Amino acid sequence: MIESKRQRRMIANIATYIVLASLTVFCIGPMIWMFLTSLKYEADIVTQTMQYLPSRVTFDNYVAIWTQSGFPRLIGNSLVVTFLTVTVCVVTGTLAAYAFSRFAFRGRDQLMLGYLVVRMFPAVMMIIPLYVVMRGVGLVDSRFGLALAYTSFLLPLFVWMLKGFFDSAPKELESAARIDGSTRLGAMVRIVMPLARNGLVASSVFIAIAAWNEFLFALMLTTGQGSRTWPVGLQLMVGEFQLPWGVLAAGGILSIIPVIVLFAIVQRTMVQGLTAGAIKG
Amino acid sequence: MATLSIRDVRKSYGSVQVLHGVDIELEDGGFLVLLGPSGCGKSTLLNIIAGLDDTSGGDILIGGRSVLDLAPKDRNIAMVFQSYALYPTMSVARNIGFGLEMRGVGADQRKRAVEDAARMLQISHLLDRRPANLSGGQRQRVAMGRAIVRDPELFLFDEPLSNLDAKLRVEMRTEIKRLHERLGTSIVYVTHDQIEAMTLGTKVAVMKGGYIQQLDDPRTIYERPANMFVASFIGSPAMNFLAGRLVPDSEGVQFQASGVSIVLPTRNRPVDSERPVVLGIRPEELRTVPRNRASIMGEIDVVEPTGPETMVTVQVGEHAIIARLPPRFAGRRKEPICLAVDPASVNLFDPDSGRRIDI
Ligand SMILES: Nc1ncnc2c1ncn2[C@@H]1O[C@H](COP(=O)(O)OP(=O)(O)OP(=O)(O)O)[C@@H](O)[C@H]1O
Ligand SMILES: [Mg+2]
Repeated sequence: MIESKRQRRMIANIATYIVLASLTVFCIGPMIWMFLTSLKYEADIVTQTMQYLPSRVTFDNYVAIWTQSGFPRLIGNSLVVTFLTVTVCVVTGTLAAYAFSRFAFRGRDQLMLGYLVVRMFPAVMMIIPLYVVMRGVGLVDSRFGLALAYTSFLLPLFVWMLKGFFDSAPKELESAARIDGSTRLGAMVRIVMPLARNGLVASSVFIAIAAWNEFLFALMLTTGQGSRTWPVGLQLMVGEFQLPWGVLAAGGILSIIPVIVLFAIVQRTMVQGLTAGAIKG
Repeated sequence: MATLSIRDVRKSYGSVQVLHGVDIELEDGGFLVLLGPSGCGKSTLLNIIAGLDDTSGGDILIGGRSVLDLAPKDRNIAMVFQSYALYPTMSVARNIGFGLEMRGVGADQRKRAVEDAARMLQISHLLDRRPANLSGGQRQRVAMGRAIVRDPELFLFDEPLSNLDAKLRVEMRTEIKRLHERLGTSIVYVTHDQIEAMTLGTKVAVMKGGYIQQLDDPRTIYERPANMFVASFIGSPAMNFLAGRLVPDSEGVQFQASGVSIVLPTRNRPVDSERPVVLGIRPEELRTVPRNRASIMGEIDVVEPTGPETMVTVQVGEHAIIARLPPRFAGRRKEPICLAVDPASVNLFDPDSGRRIDI
């Protein structure tokens, strides 16, 4: 009896691992493939027989993309746009999320619902009106304009996430701080924000990654070198050179490095923030 | 001069009114207990006093000055919360000193004040810890330290002991009483524990459904409850109620119910006609007597010795009443029992309104 139970558990475990392993391969595989490709000579990439591991390793592709294209410029633009997006979201979103969490004002629930509805429409539907508006105020093809466009769909997400974290911070803490001599805003900054820090980090990283990788809006709203971000730039290279696979792969690898670094730094905080949610007093 | 005056304070949440014109005056150095069942509006009233909640009408005066326009921080009050509400990211010392820090008190002076408060509450050895690493009782002490260090005009306590186990609760109750006597600062204390109300309060406001049912000193509340709700809410085991009638009698007036006949002295007017009433008797006012002096005859139902006393449930007519009798009570189930009660200690209530009747 016991024996068969253990066996069954073993089989279940093995099945779980098989499923997880295949999913992992499915997700990570392309990235590894891209990495390997970026290390190959052009001649070794398109070959008669498939060459999995590079027989010769070269960093020429990296040198090429960094020096012979506008890639540093693209990365720089992406950094600026991401930074602007995150800043705007954090400053306005934190205040908004706090207000949503703490004040019972007229129309609060409708407004929160509205935020969700914005997320339900596909981006292509928003892009035309947004383009018209941006052109009207002269923000097409500017990094700030692109950041604003990102804010338009990332801010609702940010507010929703952060509101959850604020909700789980006990109200009595702020009451105590307000009696102890803080203003409402002071209580939020001194007491609630440190508590919601993990949540704030998690939400910000979410926003940052989304802004960093965004493609569609960037394609529509930027036209020149001055504001083009790396996903668009990389895509446009496909036409500029004749399918330089190695160089493109190197560009891809370079552009996910910031994401990986960011993740490594905030990983623990972020996982705590996303899983815990609740804040213990 | 009154420290705290609550004048006709009303509060509504949307269409739901949770406070209906509350009037309370608390004398300087007094200890006001707000007592009532869950949801009666105690916390709401306390939050209004603190300024954490708005009123829908009425006025609040602290130290003779209306505070309705003042922010919580400007009302010169300190509050202890049910959940303690210690700042989790700060050390115990900083928690206690936070109010002073916010008021711009210098670091040296602050440190001294924090140490004094900690000594008074015997938590000096905990000052460097985080709240998460404290026991419930220790957190409670830190929360009180945070309140007393500011030396406010008024303390507000919202069920401060309800998260402690029974033994600690008794201990901290004594501690709060000692603190009050030592500091002499007025306190408003919310609880639904009638023992806390009786032991701590100089004044008890019994609340129900957003109304003050009775506002008096604890003795009066216990001995002369204003209505049946107050009578049954205070005291454990609860007051016994016997439905019967008042009958005019040569010596005054007689209460009659099946198995019960008690002659009551009338203080004011004689009762001219029969009327239905409810008689309230505290369990400890009942005693066993020989048959010829009995005013209540019944049959023993349950005998529960608790050590210092014996609780006896007696079936009297259709009523079951509880008598608090001496420890070595010898009766047994199904035996007849004869009881008497001091007529001066009983209460009469109107069966319809539940209000106290004075005869
Ligand atoms: N923000 C609010 N919105 C609507 N109704 C509320 C709100 N806060 C409290 N109430 C209602 O007001 C009434 C009184 O609440 P309150 O918290 O003062 O009760 P309480 O006497 O402190 O009870 P407890 O002993 O359970 O703490 C309750 O019926 C409650 O449902
Ligand atoms: Mg309450």
